[in-house]
Amino acid sequence: MNLLEKVYKISDSIVFRKIADEFILVPIRNNVSDLESIYTLNEVGARIWEMIDGKRKVKEIKDIIVEEFEVTPKKAEEDLIELLQKLEKIEGIKKV
Amino acid sequence: MECPHIPIIPYREFSLPVHDKAAARNIPIAGELDLTMRCNLRCLHCYCPQDINKKELTFHEISNILDEITDAGCLWLLITGGEPLMRSDFLDIYTYAKKKGLIITIFTNGTLVTPKIADYLKEWPPFLVEISLYGATQETYEKVTDVPGSYEECLNGIETLLQRKIPLRLKTLVTTLNKHELWMMKRYAEERGLEFRFDALINPRLDGSEKPCRLRISPREVVELDLADSKHHEAWKKLCQELPWGPPRRIDILYTCSRHMWDFHITAYGELQACLMAQEPSFDLRQNPFSKCWPELIREFQALKPEEKNRCRKCELFTLCGPCPAWAQLENGDPNTVVEYTCQIAHLRAEGFRREGFILKGGGKDGKESKKTLQETGSIRGEAYTRGGCVIRLQD
Repeated sequence: MNLLEKVYKISDSIVFRKIADEFILVPIRNNVSDLESIYTLNEVGARIWEMIDGKRKVKEIKDIIVEEFEVTPKKAEEDLIELLQKLEKIEGIKKV
Repeated sequence: MECPHIPIIPYREFSLPVHDKAAARNIPIAGELDLTMRCNLRCLHCYCPQDINKKELTFHEISNILDEITDAGCLWLLITGGEPLMRSDFLDIYTYAKKKGLIITIFTNGTLVTPKIADYLKEWPPFLVEISLYGATQETYEKVTDVPGSYEECLNGIETLLQRKIPLRLKTLVTTLNKHELWMMKRYAEERGLEFRFDALINPRLDGSEKPCRLRISPREVVELDLADSKHHEAWKKLCQELPWGPPRRIDILYTCSRHMWDFHITAYGELQACLMAQEPSFDLRQNPFSKCWPELIREFQALKPEEKNRCRKCELFTLCGPCPAWAQLENGDPNTVVEYTCQIAHLRAEGFRREGFILKGGGKDGKESKKTLQETGSIRGEAYTRGGCVIRLQD
């Protein structure tokens, strides 16, 4: 199945914080792969995180990113998929 | 972590700039919360008075405060007391704080750590648990704590956490009762792969009682320990090289430390203070929300002025000593006075550091004056929020 058709939801084992212009993901539970770490996102990453709601398809998130940021659809798709894979690997998001 | 494509930076490289940004914008990025003033031990040096007329915060009140401080930008929270595990709802409070995305350190004496609590902490890990160890033998430990059986309970607590690989550090307060076992305690920690730190400065009890001060080791012994311990030795050497020696840069404010720009203390009774020792100004979080009290606290704290008689602000050793007006208030009933004990230690430190060949004047390596004073950088005592680990940038 094409990844763009997939839907992700946020894990309840990680908490998103925005503090002093930093976008931070704080793992809170032991099923997150690496509790020794704290994760940070840039502005685009934070916007993507906000849109992962268990309803939107990846394709829809990509379209919004292309609309809101100066980026080509191809580049947006590559970056989005890379980030989603990273987030999935640290168990910050799950496929619905 | 097996994720080679994600840039990883050391934890401090994340933590320090965030603290700097928070200080510049008065964001309360870090705080301490006393869950209770009660304790199952009766340590002779304890600074916590119990006020039976005051009512501890309830779980509901603490939950509201945790909501408010996270909304205001708090990221690092130190849960302390008293002994925080005395509260039967400790795990409820802890869980609530975890779910808010706070990075939590717990200070405890370790004696009340049960397998159930340790299992829970394994599932919901804290950033760090720091256990106070008061002696390396039962005799000494219990001479300090005045509770038979507490030594074994403490060691059991340590082992219980260790078995579950909970992030753990040990520390001690050096007193006349346990100073002869300091290096044994350090060895005990190191043999278990644990970090260990010690502090030898005892302040009066928060109600002004001098009882804890009777256990102070001499100023000369404090400095001897500074120089004998490799970690302290290195830390002081570094500070001496980086600090501009001399009187404070600003003589128009009583408190020159900048910690109060990003750090706060909340008592077990819901009082918001700049720190544990500075009990005035204080704001009642039961009456007003944190968002209203925090800017008021900073404003009032910064408005405190030193008096002409304040000798410390003219002292050449000010930046090395970092004299605390709140300590002077507790010790002498007047924040503009000298705490003779810490003053003697500062002078002896200066002597000792000169003998060791630490750089004593001129600040940084290239001769430029450093911007930060000892208090601004946080003295080597203030290590509550530092630990290994890393920060991973998911997107550059």
